Amino acid sequence: MTISASQHRTRNPLERRYALLGVLLIAPTVLILCAVIVYPLISAIYLSLFSIYTPTLKGSWVGLGNYAQVFGSSGFWGALGTTVTWTVGTLFLQIVFGVAMALLLNQNILFRSLARSLVLFPYFVSTVVAVLIWRWLFNDLYGILSHLLIQFGVVDMPVDWLGKMPNAMASVIFVGAWKFFPFVVIAVLARLQTIPEQLYEAATIDGAGVFGRFFDVTLPQLKEVLTIVILLRTIWDFKEFDLIYLLTGGGPVNNTRTLPLIVYQQAFGLNQMGIAATYAVAMMLVMLAFMLIYLYRARRQAP
Amino acid sequence: MDSNSIWLRRTLMSGISRRSVLQGLGTAGLAAGLSLPLAGRARAADPVTLRWWSPQASPDQLKMYQTQIATFEAAHPGVKIAFEPTSDEGYPAQLAAAFASKQLPNIVTHLPSFAAQNYYGQGLLEPMDDVIKAIGEDKYFPGANDVYKTADGHYCGTAIGNTAADMLWLRKDLMQKAGVDKAPTTWDELRTACQKMQGGGIFGAPLPYGLNSMTSLIFIGFIHRAGGQIFSPDLAVAIDSQPTYDALEFYKSMREFCPPGATNYSWGESLTAFVSGATATGIYAGRVLANVTSQNPGIADSVTCATYPTISKDVASWTFNDFPSVFIPKDIANMAETKAFAAFLFEPKGYIPQLLAAPGHVLPVLKTIAEDPTYLADPIIQKYKAEVTLMAGAAAAGKNLGYETDKHKPNLKANEIIASNVIAELVQRVVLNDEDAKATVGDIAKKLEGLMKA
Repeated sequence: MTISASQHRTRNPLERRYALLGVLLIAPTVLILCAVIVYPLISAIYLSLFSIYTPTLKGSWVGLGNYAQVFGSSGFWGALGTTVTWTVGTLFLQIVFGVAMALLLNQNILFRSLARSLVLFPYFVSTVVAVLIWRWLFNDLYGILSHLLIQFGVVDMPVDWLGKMPNAMASVIFVGAWKFFPFVVIAVLARLQTIPEQLYEAATIDGAGVFGRFFDVTLPQLKEVLTIVILLRTIWDFKEFDLIYLLTGGGPVNNTRTLPLIVYQQAFGLNQMGIAATYAVAMMLVMLAFMLIYLYRARRQAP
Repeated sequence: MDSNSIWLRRTLMSGISRRSVLQGLGTAGLAAGLSLPLAGRARAADPVTLRWWSPQASPDQLKMYQTQIATFEAAHPGVKIAFEPTSDEGYPAQLAAAFASKQLPNIVTHLPSFAAQNYYGQGLLEPMDDVIKAIGEDKYFPGANDVYKTADGHYCGTAIGNTAADMLWLRKDLMQKAGVDKAPTTWDELRTACQKMQGGGIFGAPLPYGLNSMTSLIFIGFIHRAGGQIFSPDLAVAIDSQPTYDALEFYKSMREFCPPGATNYSWGESLTAFVSGATATGIYAGRVLANVTSQNPGIADSVTCATYPTISKDVASWTFNDFPSVFIPKDIANMAETKAFAAFLFEPKGYIPQLLAAPGHVLPVLKTIAEDPTYLADPIIQKYKAEVTLMAGAAAAGKNLGYETDKHKPNLKANEIIASNVIAELVQRVVLNDEDAKATVGDIAKKLEGLMKA
């Protein structure tokens, strides 16, 4: 139902006061959102139109020149491919590990409460600490992974986990999955606990086995929560910086150099803040496009 | 009328507070030779905090810095020093952000000379002429501050030490066991020695192949030791030459003598590999001495060093010295106190313990310190006298990308070139990816040209 202009005009003073109160109540939120979202966004777009030397923040107008340079460079497309590989790879593992662990923790297992607490450990530990631990595990001379593989006769020489492809990408994807899968566990476990038991009983009576119950009952019930989890984790993984930077620095030969690493290098290594902002805006556009497609498809498939 | 008088007059006319005037008087005192006590500051009610950044921050060094800080604070009531560690890999980003946000440290020490040149070239640093004068120009080794000379006739920083960053470290016990009778002087000799010493869980060398600044800085040395250069004296890109191909070929041939994880090595991993005994040779500065003494004393008696071999006896040695610097950002608050602290860092009572926190690593730039009995009495300096002397000589003649030879102009883009990892990328593409050397060098040369124009 729409309100006509004449109805607006005939509002009584109390209604107008309520409307004003509403505006006043919402104003702080709007202002904060403007300060923390709109302003940085507009700033980034504005900066991307200049050639700016980072330490002095002085520069000259280049218009869309930065965009032409970025989209015309193989570096951007290569890094975009790397970012997509990392995001898809680590997200897939996070979902698989996360759902599997949530299913396990939803069972009546021994020390379930303790296990539910411990499984959150990777998510809570700081990325720097996590990376240091993993770098020690991966270390060629003292790392336990290579040591065990040599002990069991799988390899003769220590494995170069982080310095050669495809090992480096696989290692980064795996560590990312280890670090972030607890988020999936929390979300999925919460949803699992609300699925009515009768659905499983009915499925069992109908002759559904373990896999049948999972694919026909559990998974459809998890669909909504997984849609949100995938959406959020895709955004977060796409812009992941610290874990990759600390593990490989983008190497070998830029093979794990994702877009956020380029933004960082351009802004603070090469002191080209304008180009860095262009990469950041381009990243945002790519993410936006992915998200719109994903949400559109998810809504179309919804019953 | 000098600038301080003009400032004082304007300040008095504008009615600015007494505290500001006292601060200004402190500045004027410094201009007179940093000889006046900071009287204004001593009377000021609010304490002044000076932020000090350095990438040299091992626990022993931190302890000595704290002693220096405490001494300075005791002599200058109301002044506090806050030490904040940075890192060799991280400082370009941290400083860029600090300059952009104007949240600047007051003083930065131990960064390479080319960083100082780069920032000064952008008008971001304060000239250090008066600090050098306060320390005493005649106390420095001749030419110690040459790398800090700027086009406008000032000094953008001053040397706080010398470092021979790419010495060849050797184990005499392993050499003897393998029948290597002398330190290698050419690449062929080095390769043969590594081949002989490798085995039994020990690798030949910990050369870095990672996508990081160490690989870039070390490989630049290899190009020079092949007789080449990255830029010509007038700073035209000159990397595309036969010496670069020779250096790449040698570096590639050394891969089989390096641990598998050397593809991701930076300074810490390379140092640890030699100190722990995992490699027969090392490539590092003098910190090896202190680390071996404390962490692996079993090999301490066998450790020695030499300048890194060259392609042939006809090519002169080239040592990478990052010329650890002291510089002061422009327009910071409390400039007088900061300059006084910069000069204070060279006072023997604090400077000697600071150097001896990592004996032989950061070598003295003041003659008076190098000859000081307290400095020379350190057990590590005593024990490795020959090695320290060799490093001091190599470092004094050392160079870096900001100052490739005596004929070169200062390269103000060296900081960005190292941060871009293009040289490390060259190494990785040719050595790890087996890409064609000529085409890759050509590609990297174009990238260098782009960086120089940016």
